[in-house]
Amino acid sequence: MYPPSLVVTFTKKSSVKMAKLTSLFVISLSFFCISEAVFEDQVGKFDWRQQYVGKTLFAHFESNTQSSKKMFVATDKNIFASFNSRTGDLLWRHVDKTGPEGSIDILLLHGQDALMVVGDGRLLRSWDTNIGGLNWEAVLDTGSFQAACFVAIQDTVKLVAVLKKAALSLHYLSNGHQKWVENLPDSDAVQYQAVYSGGEEEVYVLGVVPNSHLTIIAYSLEDGEIIKQVTTLALCVVVGQGVLMCVDPATLALYTLPIQAEETPEFSQILLQVSPGFQPVLVSSQPHPARSPLSEFFLQLGPDHHVLLQLNADGYTIAPLRDFQPAFLVSFATTGKKTVAAVMTPKNETLNYSAVSNPRWLSPLSFPLQACAINLFSVDSGRRLLDTTVLFPLELNGGKPHALYVHAFLKKDDSVGYRVLVQTQDHALTFIQQPGRVVWTREEALADVVTMEMVDLPLTGTQAELEGEFGKKADGLFPMVLKRLSSQVTLLQAWLAHLWKLFYEARKPRGQVKNEVTIETLSRDEFNLQKMMVMVTASGKLFGIDSKSGSILWKHYLENVQPNAAFKLIVQRTTAHFPHPPQCTLLIKDKDTGLATLHVFNPIFGRKSHIALPALPRPILQSLLLPVIDQDYAKVLLLVDDQYKVTAFPSTKNVLQQLQEMASSIFFYLIRSDQGNLSGFRLRKDLSTERIWEVVLPTEVQKIVAVKGKRPNEHVHSQGRVMGDRSVLYKYLNPNLLAVVTESTDTHPERAFVGVFLVDGVTGRIIHEAVQRKARGPVHFVHSENWVVYEYWNTKSRRNEFSVLELFEGTELYNSTVFSSLDRPHLPQVLQQTYIFPSPITTMEATLTEKGITSRHLLVGLPSGAILSLPKMFLDPRRPEVVTEHSREENLIPYAPEMPIRTEWFINYNQTVARVKGIYTAPSGLESTCLVVAYGLDIYQTRVYPSKQFDVLKDDYDYVLISSVLFALFFATMISKRLAQVKLLNRAWR
Amino acid sequence: MSDRIVDGVRKHTPSILLFFDESPFSLLWLWLSTEKRKQIKSEKIGIILYIAMASPGGQGGGAVSTRGAGARRMKWALELSLGNARGRGDRQSNQGDVMYPIGYSDKPVPDTSIQETDKNLVEKRCWDVALGPLKQIPMNLFIMYMSGNTISIFPIMMVCMMAWRPIQALMSMSATFKLLENSNQQWLQGLVYSVGNLLGSALAIYKCQSMGLLPTHSSDWLAFIEPPQRMEIMGGGMVL
Repeated sequence: MYPPSLVVTFTKKSSVKMAKLTSLFVISLSFFCISEAVFEDQVGKFDWRQQYVGKTLFAHFESNTQSSKKMFVATDKNIFASFNSRTGDLLWRHVDKTGPEGSIDILLLHGQDALMVVGDGRLLRSWDTNIGGLNWEAVLDTGSFQAACFVAIQDTVKLVAVLKKAALSLHYLSNGHQKWVENLPDSDAVQYQAVYSGGEEEVYVLGVVPNSHLTIIAYSLEDGEIIKQVTTLALCVVVGQGVLMCVDPATLALYTLPIQAEETPEFSQILLQVSPGFQPVLVSSQPHPARSPLSEFFLQLGPDHHVLLQLNADGYTIAPLRDFQPAFLVSFATTGKKTVAAVMTPKNETLNYSAVSNPRWLSPLSFPLQACAINLFSVDSGRRLLDTTVLFPLELNGGKPHALYVHAFLKKDDSVGYRVLVQTQDHALTFIQQPGRVVWTREEALADVVTMEMVDLPLTGTQAELEGEFGKKADGLFPMVLKRLSSQVTLLQAWLAHLWKLFYEARKPRGQVKNEVTIETLSRDEFNLQKMMVMVTASGKLFGIDSKSGSILWKHYLENVQPNAAFKLIVQRTTAHFPHPPQCTLLIKDKDTGLATLHVFNPIFGRKSHIALPALPRPILQSLLLPVIDQDYAKVLLLVDDQYKVTAFPSTKNVLQQLQEMASSIFFYLIRSDQGNLSGFRLRKDLSTERIWEVVLPTEVQKIVAVKGKRPNEHVHSQGRVMGDRSVLYKYLNPNLLAVVTESTDTHPERAFVGVFLVDGVTGRIIHEAVQRKARGPVHFVHSENWVVYEYWNTKSRRNEFSVLELFEGTELYNSTVFSSLDRPHLPQVLQQTYIFPSPITTMEATLTEKGITSRHLLVGLPSGAILSLPKMFLDPRRPEVVTEHSREENLIPYAPEMPIRTEWFINYNQTVARVKGIYTAPSGLESTCLVVAYGLDIYQTRVYPSKQFDVLKDDYDYVLISSVLFALFFATMISKRLAQVKLLNRAWR
Repeated sequence: MSDRIVDGVRKHTPSILLFFDESPFSLLWLWLSTEKRKQIKSEKIGIILYIAMASPGGQGGGAVSTRGAGARRMKWALELSLGNARGRGDRQSNQGDVMYPIGYSDKPVPDTSIQETDKNLVEKRCWDVALGPLKQIPMNLFIMYMSGNTISIFPIMMVCMMAWRPIQALMSMSATFKLLENSNQQWLQGLVYSVGNLLGSALAIYKCQSMGLLPTHSSDWLAFIEPPQRMEIMGGGMVL
């Protein structure tokens, strides 16, 4: 892996430093252990991946038979996927481009073909639903997409009609070729909304001129000629034999209108009673494209009020069939000739937990439940069908049901059976089977993780009990002895139980052992390798995931979170302060109002903590976590509002006193990207602030893209680097250093640039400034220890480049005991080197270990979904161009402009993570091991060992051989000793 | 002479045997069976002799062996016949097929007559002991040169030996003085002996230095520097 000459130079080193021996040992291990990739039998041992698709926009079931297993969804993440409806597993998934370019406008399903319009009417695609392969793709004319439907000729579906803002086009279903395209008349004034075909020789297009009239245009199927054009008045659906049913929210009236009428028809008006402020919605169903829609339809009159109506045969009068109140959702489902209506209603009874057939994922602690019932109703009569009730629990804090997809089928006895897919507001999908069995649940909110933290698990009950025993005061000798004995007995019991469990599990096959993590049995393992992943998603749902197995242990949905809200997750108290529970705080800021709310919860159980929250009447700009702790061991969080006043949380007397004492040493900085302004503040004793510095980067030239300080839990073991002549080059370890990255507003390849400013956050002093000319973003960067690594696009050479900046104090330390930004007269020496990287990247993070002894690696997320573990050794500005004795001594790799990508460095082998958005690293209890979570569309968790596992025996360590050799030697010595004694005795007798 | 040295080797140098013999198993066998130990063939003696000569510990070992036996051991004789050597050895195990005549005393009769030549011999012998460490130095220099400055198991072992020998010898100075007490120039000899040993240890230290094993550079103390305490608390970021 490394150049062979380097290995030789290492073994032939002429002198080695004594104090460096330990670190050298580590380095040499990393140097000689060539393979970094996992072995085949290690796959899935300590890593897992979960694949998600995002919020469902369209869902279809494959066919209406009981045995069909496939369902198809198209989501807001531009993903078209297929699930196995029995297990909820992903069968296949197509990830399209992000943004509007790949957005899915509509998904239509007919037989084996799934038709999709992509990118606001840019492309029309047909997929084979069996294998998920693309049948064909057709480029559509420009124009924003409005509607699409299947068109049938003589009872067979052969065409698909796509309605755009200004044109209507027909395409063959078999090959995507265009049959004809026609421009729509008056497309500037008329908003064309719907396209309809009832199996006749005509295609109808419906357009609305707001507050004026309706336009119905009929086209001939054959050549696209306009057969007739009718202009009438207002949200419409087609019901029955071509009768247009419209509801006007302004007049709160229902209008009916036959489309095929010869002369300008008259609207018949029916007035409605609608709950105030609600827009009535019509739901109709067309079971087959070659036939007319049903004459029954649903009218939604309130948030949970639906009415099933029927259009009488005369086409003008409407008869109410049934009134559903309360009803969350309604849906039509067709199987064979039968069409049924499914209605979801809330039930006020509380569920008995034993009745829930799948209680494993439902812990009574975390999910308050509400019962929901789904019933089937005959469409013709409105009567409830017998034995069709599905009763299932709905999480109260999961948001209301949002959509209902019914898969109806005929059973053997010709009755209608069904399964339902319920989508709730938190993007979760639940698949329910009769009679109320939850088959699976998919938490699609996890497709959009915003931020996350890893929290140590608590000690076991027995361990905690022991801790508690030492914490309590002595109450007499005898009770203390008793208490000690009892706790020892419980420890023994726990140990025996553990042994028994080990023995029991050893007999079971490996697959079954998993999935047994519950919130009650959760406890810290001996090396702290298992942690709780607290994930915050964009939809406002919080998850607690076990890092070892990936199972979701708790979830909590925050309602009333704006879609564009900013989140900041802060761990205020870790699990180290028993009996105080750990505490996390989520700061949610509404972008529109600027107001922030705090959600304080226990990260292990997900329960909301009942702590008095500070009132935050003013918009919050930033937060700042202090290392100061209150008497309950919670770190103090400062919230800075728009008047630069500071609110402390928690704000007890003790905390306020501490804050007053150390106010003069608390600083914070704020960056306003829109004004190009960096400013620093100092806290005053009365919790107001004073501005002490300001740096302005003119927004006409460049804009601030990102800023990163150092991670607060980062430890740097070595304060310097050993040179070849055994002197020390001390690192410039300024904890207050900020890396500010700017991009030029001018994007011309010749004039574009990327700037990196290293600013001291306390004094505002610009320590270093690096401007990369002819470079363009997006810039990804990592700031750690004494280095900054950033990646940009070189517009001149048209390639991606990595650049590394390293800061050194020189061969002497200015002050080795304390670091104060206010007393640092000398600027550091800055070294820089740049390398060519053969791939664009999407995100970057550095590994983190407990003590910082292990060498660092950079974890680079590539667009291909691979995560590359790149040794920091390759990004070292001291890499020499000419190899000298000294550089050999330091193990510096000679400079080469090209940075290699070796496939063994991919830590996720073939488990690609689609659209990696962020990588989170956390230290474990083992110095060699760093926990890594990559999130994006998928979530992937693994461990990395940047310097190999120097503190752990290998997986394939031969315990049997070693112990048998030891035992054999032991017995051999015993026997030979005995033999020697016998021999001596015999000789003495001779 | 061979007997004394064999004795010395037997008593003090199992480790040396292990390191220097090509076949440690043969020596293990030699060591384990007391029976065989007494029947050392002359070529084996030769090998061990060679080892003892080559090993810098030969001299010191000899000194220590004489210490235990006291004045009696000063009178040594070269017995080439194997039978006699065995007879001497049998003293301890009380096993012998030779019947001693009545009145035979195992203890040698002390020779009370002191002669001038004996005195010279003692003097010579004492000087031999005193100059031993100094004589080792050229040998050590040669080994030093040969082993190089690489850190690997053999040079490290050499250095350890080189450092440990003189220290061990200096620690057992009293025994050496006892050895030298018959000499007239006892103090001078003692001084020469200790100077020789000090030179030997200085050589070992020099070797350590050139191998980079001495913590004489600032980089050697790097691991003990504590991270500086931070005086200011800072935080913040982009406006949310």
